[in-house]
Order: sequence, then structure tokens, then C-alpha cells
Amino acid sequence: MNPLLKKIIRSGVGRVRFIMATIGLGVALLLILLAVQTQVNFDDLLHGKYNENETADFLVINKEVNKENQTQKDKNVFSDADIADFKKQSFTQSIGPLTATRFGVTLQSYSNELPFSTDMSFESVPDEFIDIKSKDWKWEEGQKDLPIIIPSFFLDLYNFGMAQSREELPQISPEALMMISIKVTISGNGQSLEIPGHVIGMTDRINSVLIPESFMNWANAKFGYQQQQPRITRVVVKTQDPSDPELTNYLKEKKLSTNEDKTRFSKARTAVNIIVKVLAGFGIIMLLFALLVFSLFIQLTIASCKTEIELLITLGTSPGQLSRFLMKQFFPANVLIMLVCAAIIAVLQYAACTWLKSQNMYVSPWISWYTIAAAMAVLAMVWWVYRSTIRRYVNAQ
Amino acid sequence: MNIRLQQVVPIPLKDTLANRRSDIWNSDVVFTKGDRVKIKAPSGTGKTTLIHILYKMRHDYSGELFYDQSSLRTINADTLSNYRQQTISIILQDMRLFGNLTARENIELKRVMYKPIYDDKMVDTMAARLGITHILNQSAATCSYGEQQRIAIIRSLMQPFEWLMMDEPFSHLDEANTAKAAELINEECKKRNAGFILTDLDEDSNLEYSRKLTL
Repeated sequence: MNPLLKKIIRSGVGRVRFIMATIGLGVALLLILLAVQTQVNFDDLLHGKYNENETADFLVINKEVNKENQTQKDKNVFSDADIADFKKQSFTQSIGPLTATRFGVTLQSYSNELPFSTDMSFESVPDEFIDIKSKDWKWEEGQKDLPIIIPSFFLDLYNFGMAQSREELPQISPEALMMISIKVTISGNGQSLEIPGHVIGMTDRINSVLIPESFMNWANAKFGYQQQQPRITRVVVKTQDPSDPELTNYLKEKKLSTNEDKTRFSKARTAVNIIVKVLAGFGIIMLLFALLVFSLFIQLTIASCKTEIELLITLGTSPGQLSRFLMKQFFPANVLIMLVCAAIIAVLQYAACTWLKSQNMYVSPWISWYTIAAAMAVLAMVWWVYRSTIRRYVNAQ
Repeated sequence: MNIRLQQVVPIPLKDTLANRRSDIWNSDVVFTKGDRVKIKAPSGTGKTTLIHILYKMRHDYSGELFYDQSSLRTINADTLSNYRQQTISIILQDMRLFGNLTARENIELKRVMYKPIYDDKMVDTMAARLGITHILNQSAATCSYGEQQRIAIIRSLMQPFEWLMMDEPFSHLDEANTAKAAELINEECKKRNAGFILTDLDEDSNLEYSRKLTL
């Protein structure tokens, strides 16, 4: 029946308009798919970079110390409400306080080969935030050895700074450092205690000299000056994605600071987000216009064949048959456009993959499922507009 | 399927019909399946109007009209097209062919609209019987009225039906051709156990009628 209908219903009316609308749809589809694919690639890069070995990152966060508040150290602390609010944020996986010593600490060397003596302070943090897995990382009351974790850069500072500055100072390897006993003297409340300490590991995660929480609590109680309640000056936050713009905005808004190197990627990401949104926005506007033109075009075709369609209906052609016929006339062009767009994106993706590989970045060489799903969604939308327009105008005859 | 008219009066003819007696207008009439109905009426008394109302091509009438139990006023487009494909066929007075299609294509359109009951050779067979084989591949617009009428007759016979509605179906045919067409229509109706409603100006004996009514 369709070849006959094709002769009766001249769908050639306004062919140019139809082609223009189809091209418009093509461009719209291309923009939308490009936006989706870019987003997917960017996520790939992000997770490729941060998720190779670890599934999360840790940020040590403190209140900004500035000219105005530097004299009020009581103010630069996290209240319970601050921490509760932080916990609520979507980017926070967990949060732990860093506890500081409230007593004096000096470290001294036992050996004469490496003589040193320095004032120091410790911090402690719940064990789940520590990346050094060592059986020595524990302290019980009465234990005559204090395990210590230092930031890696302390050793670098010594080896490449201090040791270079004085001819008689040797460089120290991490293994050697861990063998050395250190005399730790703590004092406060008119008492003092000497205890040998050991560096049991070095970390890049937390920029502080750490001791076990159990020792910290015991010593703070015994030697610490009195506080109405413990002050939390720094927190460590476990997050899936330190470059999450939401996180950086939150820090900025609450006047908090952290290791900016970890959050720096966030700026690039914000830029990409804007580009993706602009692309998608233009794409969607063009899509809407294309849909409008398609719908007008169908109306035009139906109106220009009003008499013929009336006679077909008089002879018994069902609205369903007419809709199916009209759908067959118009819709395949859109399917074709979708395939072309998907092919273009696939080629671009392959090219992007090759180029990024030369820059040591990895993205999938294949078009993503999200992109294909987006294309299908657009096509479904076009189909729906066709169907409802055809139904409405055929039934009106 | 029965067709039932309940006090049907076409609104434009209301005044004219008020002073006339009619077997159909303003009465209760039932056409029972298999009835072979002849409706005789002079010009201007609403023959074409009746056929159009019966076929739901117009609905400017008072009263009610039913296909079995369903009122034609509330029937939906899909149901109506089902009736027109399987239950009711029509030969309109003005033929209504697609001028840009050939005679064969006009007939073919109806043949394939629903599951075909005849193969395409039947078109040639019927065309040969009515003497229009030579114009089958000619565009319908260029055919004479007589030829167009025969195309419309063959077209109407390409589908299953219980009722064949004919509005002056032989008006452009001479006696010999009328006889051939009437014979074909008669055969096809018998094959289907179908009834028909035929309108014409005068008395005739082209077909056997079971009911004769005056409009």
C-alpha cells in the first residue's frame, strides 16, 4: 500500500525545509553528543589519575590564619557544628580531627655522631586516616617506646638541605632513620617524662609529626594545660575526588585552607564543566528548533494533501496506517543523521584517544555508552514529536 | 451487521421534509443483514445525503443512527476505518478516484488496504467483464465518467463487506454496460452473503431487490 500512498501524499512539499531541519538536528545532535562524550572523557582522565592505586584522597584542612585572626588562636578551631556540617557534604567520605599536644616536647639525639636537639610538637589522628600500616604503630600505658610518623619532606629537608649545609653531616636513608632512637622529653604541669622514640614510617598524606592517639590522650591528660574542652585545629577529610569544585567552593566559603596542589585540578574542571554546559545548552536549543521545524513540516505536508487524506480516510484507510506511512517518510532521515553523528563522534574519540596517549593521558578509544544513550534519547524525542504531530493532524482531518 | 435509523432528518432539509411523507426520513428504519434495498427518489430529496449519512461522511442530522449497537455519533476513527475496510463498501455518485493514479492503482489501493481477499489478477478479470481493460494503466483523471464509474465499482468489490452502498452507481452507463455491472455486483454480493443499499431516480430491474423504499 505504501508505494500507492507515496504517489498520493506528495511528501516532496517543502523538501528544502525538511533538509534544513535535518541538518539542524544533525548539528544539535553533534553538540549534545560532544558534550556528553567530553564529560565522560574528562571523568575518565580524572579517575585515571587519582584512582590508580587508591580509591580516595585525604586532605588536611585548617582554618585560614590571617592578619585579623592571628592573635586569637582560640577562634581558629573547628566547632562540633563545623565538623557536623562538613560531614554532611556530598564530597566527604569521612572526617577525623587532628589532636595537638598541650605540653612541651623536645627531641634529642642519643648519639654523638648525629647530635641534635629541637623543640617539637606532635599531633595525633584516628588510625583509619594513616597510610602507614605497621605493627609498631601502637602505644599502651607503660610502654617504653614511642612510635612516631614524620612527613616525608622532613627527611628530604634534612638530606638535601641540612646535610648539604654542613660538611660533617651525613645523609640518612629512611631505613637508617628508622633505626635511630630519639630521646623524647615531654613536660608540663610541673612534671616531665623522658621516653625513647622511634620513627616507624614516613607519610605524604598528613603534614604533621604523628604519635598514636592513645599516647596523646594519656599525655594530654597528665601533662597538658587545662582546656574547657579539647580544641580541634585541623581535620583530615577523606574524599573521593579532591578536585570536586563543590569541595573547593566549600573551603573558600568557610575560609578554610588545605594543600592547594591537590585541589588545583578543580579549576580546569570548572572550565570543562562550563564548556560542556554551553555545548549542551546550544545543542538543546538547536534541538528544540529542529523539532519545531519538523513538526511544522509535518503539518504542512498534511495540510497540502488535505483532500487526498480525506479521501483515503473515506475509503477506509485507518489513521494508524496513515501515521505509519508518514512516519516512514520522515523518520529514517533522522535515524541516518544519528548514525552519521555517532560515526563522527566515534572518529573524533579515536583521534582524541591517540593524541592524548602521546600526552601520556588515557581515554577510551571507543565512543561511550552514555553518548549512545544520549543519541537514542534524542531520537526517541524526535520520534515522539513526529508521532504526536501526525496523530493530532491526521485525526483532525 | 444491522443498520438502524432513528428519526434521522438532515438539518439542511428539515423544512422541505416537514411537508413530505418519506419511508426513511423522520422514521424508525432497520436494514437487516442481507437486505437488498432499493431507495427511489427524485432529484433534490437527499439521496446522496442519505448515503453520506449512512457512511458517516456527514453528521449534520438530527435523530440517531446505529451500526448494530454503536451510535455513529460516538464511533472513533479507528473503529470507523475497520467498518470501512471489512463491513461496508461504497460506490459514490461522484466516484472519487485519485486523478493522479492510474485506474489500476485506484483499484489496487483498495485491494491492499486490508488483508487482500483477491489477488491482483482479479482486477484484470473484473476489468475485462466491464470492458475497461484498455484504460487500466491510464490515469483516472483522463478517463470518461462512464469509465470512472466502472473503476469505482471494481474498487468497491475489492474488499470484504456485509453492506455495499451505491449512490446512483449506473448513472453514466448505457444499458448494456449497466447490465454487466449489475451482474458483477450481484455475484459479488451473493459470494459474501452481503446486502446492499442502492439509490436511484427511477424504477429499475437491474438487480433483485428485497425492499423498495421511497425517500
